[in-house]
Amino acid sequence: MKVVSARRVGFVTAALAALLALCVLLGLAAGPSEVGPARALAALFGADPSGPAADIVWRVRLPRVVLGALVGAALACSGVLFQALLRNPLADPFVLGVSGGAALGGILALSLAGPLGLGYAAVPPAAFAGAVGATVLLYAFAGSRARFSPTQLLLTGVVFNAFASAGIVFIASVAGLSEGTSIFLWLIGSLSSVRAEVIGWVAAFLACGVGCALTLARSLNLLALGSESAQQLGVDVERDQRIVLLATSLMVGAAVSAAGLVGFVGLIIPHLLRLVVGPDHRVLVPAAALGGAAFLVLCDTLARSLLGGRELPVGALTALAGGPIFLWLLRRQAQRVLGS
Amino acid sequence: MRAQRLFVAGALVVALGAGGPAARAAERIVSLNPSLTAMLMALGAEDRIVGIDDRSARQEPRLAHLPTVGGLFNPSLEAVVALAPDVVVLVPGAQQRDLRARMQALGIEVLELPNITLEELLASIEVLGELVERRQAARERVAEIRAAFEATERAAAGRRPPRVVFALQRDPLYVVGAGSFLDAMLRAAGAINAGAELGGPYPQAGLEWLIASAPDVILDASEDAEDAASYWSRWTSLPAVAKGRIVAVPPAEVTLPGPYLDRGLRRIADALRAPGATP
Repeated sequence: MKVVSARRVGFVTAALAALLALCVLLGLAAGPSEVGPARALAALFGADPSGPAADIVWRVRLPRVVLGALVGAALACSGVLFQALLRNPLADPFVLGVSGGAALGGILALSLAGPLGLGYAAVPPAAFAGAVGATVLLYAFAGSRARFSPTQLLLTGVVFNAFASAGIVFIASVAGLSEGTSIFLWLIGSLSSVRAEVIGWVAAFLACGVGCALTLARSLNLLALGSESAQQLGVDVERDQRIVLLATSLMVGAAVSAAGLVGFVGLIIPHLLRLVVGPDHRVLVPAAALGGAAFLVLCDTLARSLLGGRELPVGALTALAGGPIFLWLLRRQAQRVLGS
Repeated sequence: MRAQRLFVAGALVVALGAGGPAARAAERIVSLNPSLTAMLMALGAEDRIVGIDDRSARQEPRLAHLPTVGGLFNPSLEAVVALAPDVVVLVPGAQQRDLRARMQALGIEVLELPNITLEELLASIEVLGELVERRQAARERVAEIRAAFEATERAAAGRRPPRVVFALQRDPLYVVGAGSFLDAMLRAAGAINAGAELGGPYPQAGLEWLIASAPDVILDASEDAEDAASYWSRWTSLPAVAKGRIVAVPPAEVTLPGPYLDRGLRRIADALRAPGATP
C-alpha cells in the first residue's frame, strides 16, 4: 500500500475538485438550445432574470447538474464502500439488490399513481422506501447470524435482485402503455425529473454516507485484509460493517429514487480511481465522491445535448461508456497480475 | 396528393395484411387496441366484438362483460384462440409482429391497421366499415371528419399562427411531433406545432427544449392530478404562461386515435382560439 500523506490527500482532492468544477461549468454552458456559453454566463450573472435563458440556466440546467453531481458521488462512494465491505472489487450497490428494491418501489408507485390520482410525484418517495426495505431485508437475512458473511450478503442480494426484477416485469405487464414508457426510462436511469426536495434528500444522505466512510476509512483499509485480521488489529468488524452497509444503502436509495437505475458509476469510478490514487480509503473515498460527481455531470450533459431537443436517458450513456472501460480495466488488471 | 397515396397504402394494408378477409364480413372480432375498439363501436358493430384488450375494457364500460385477452403489449395467444375469432384487429407494432405471426400460423385472420397519421385512421374506419358491413356509416364518419378539417382550416385561415407545444405526458415530457393525426389537427387549426422539429410522431422532449422553443400556447393532455395551469406556471419565461394560455385538453376525447377525430379537432381549435376572439 502506498504511503498516504495529508499533502497527497490534499493534492488528489484538489485535482478532482477542479475536474468537477470544469464539468459543472460545461454542464451549465451546454445544452440542446441555443443558450451557449456566453448567454449562459450572462444569465448566471443576472442578465434578464425573468428571460428564457435565465430559466434554462438556473432552473433547468443547474438543478440537473447539482443532482447529477450528488447522484454520481453517492453511487461512486457506495461502490467504494461495498467493495471494501465485501473484499471484492466487482461488488456494486446494484449487485446487492438495494437498487432493485428502489426500482420495485418506484414502479409500484408509478402503476398506482394513475388509479389513485397521485401523479408522478409519488414515485421518488416510494422508490426510496423500496431501497430502505431492501436494506432491511438484507439485514434480516444476511445479518441475522453473528457476523456478515460476504457470500451470504452477495447471494441475498442476487436473490433479491431476481425477485425485484420479476416484480418489476409483473407490474410492467399489468400496467398499460404510457406507464410502460416511463417504466422504461426509469429503469435505464435518467436525471430529467429533478425535484428540489429530492436534491435535499440526496445531499443529506450523501453527506451522511461520506461522513461515515471518512470516519471509518482506517477500518475499511484493515477490512481489506480480511475480517479476522481486521479484528486482531482492533477493528470492531461487526459494528463497522453494519454502519457501512446502512450508510451505503441510504446513499444508493436516495440516488436511485432521484435518478432511477444509473448503472456502472459505482463500479467504474472506484476502480478507475483505485488505479490512480491507490487503495487507501482516506484518499479513495473523497476521490470517488468527486470523480463520480464529475463523471455523471459530464454524462448527463452529453445525454441532454447530443440529440437536440430529445433526451437520451443518462443511464444508457453511463452503461455504454462504462461497459468497455470496465472490460479494459479487468484485462489490465489480469495482465498486471500475470506480469508480476 | 400525399394524402391520396397514404389512403391507397392503407387500403393495401388490408389486402396484404389479411389476405383478403376484409371482403368477407366478420361475425366474431377480437380487437387488440382501444382505438380500433372505439371505431367498431362507433360503426354500431358492438355485437360483433367477442374479445378485447385490457385498455379497451377500461375505456368502454359497455364492453365490460366481454372477455379480455391481455394488455397491448402482452395479449394472451391462448385467450385469443379460445374465442375462435373470424378476425383479430390490431395496430402494428414491434410487440405485435411476433403475435401476428403466431396467430397466422394457427390460421387466425389478422387485420393490421396503423393508427399514426390522419389518413391511416380514415382508412382504418373505412376498412372496418367494410369488415362489419357498415360501409355507409363508415363513409359518413370519414366525410364528417374531412368536413370538420376543412371547416377548421377555413376558420383558421388568415389568423396569425400561434406556436404550440402539445404535451401528452409531463414527466418525462412527451409531445406531439411530426406526422401524427394530432399534428394534422394542430396544423388544421392554424398552429405551428413546435414539436414537429423533434422528429417522430410522439417524441420525448427535454424541458430546456420546451423553454427555448417559447410556445404561445401549451396544450396539456396529461393525466396527472395537478392542474395544468398551475403545473406550467412555474416556468414564468414561457410566453404561454405569461399570456395565460395553458389549456388542459381531455385525453379521452382528443388524443385517442379513434372514430371521433372531428370532435377532438374542435376541442383543439377551441383551445387555440385566442381568448376574446369570436368563434
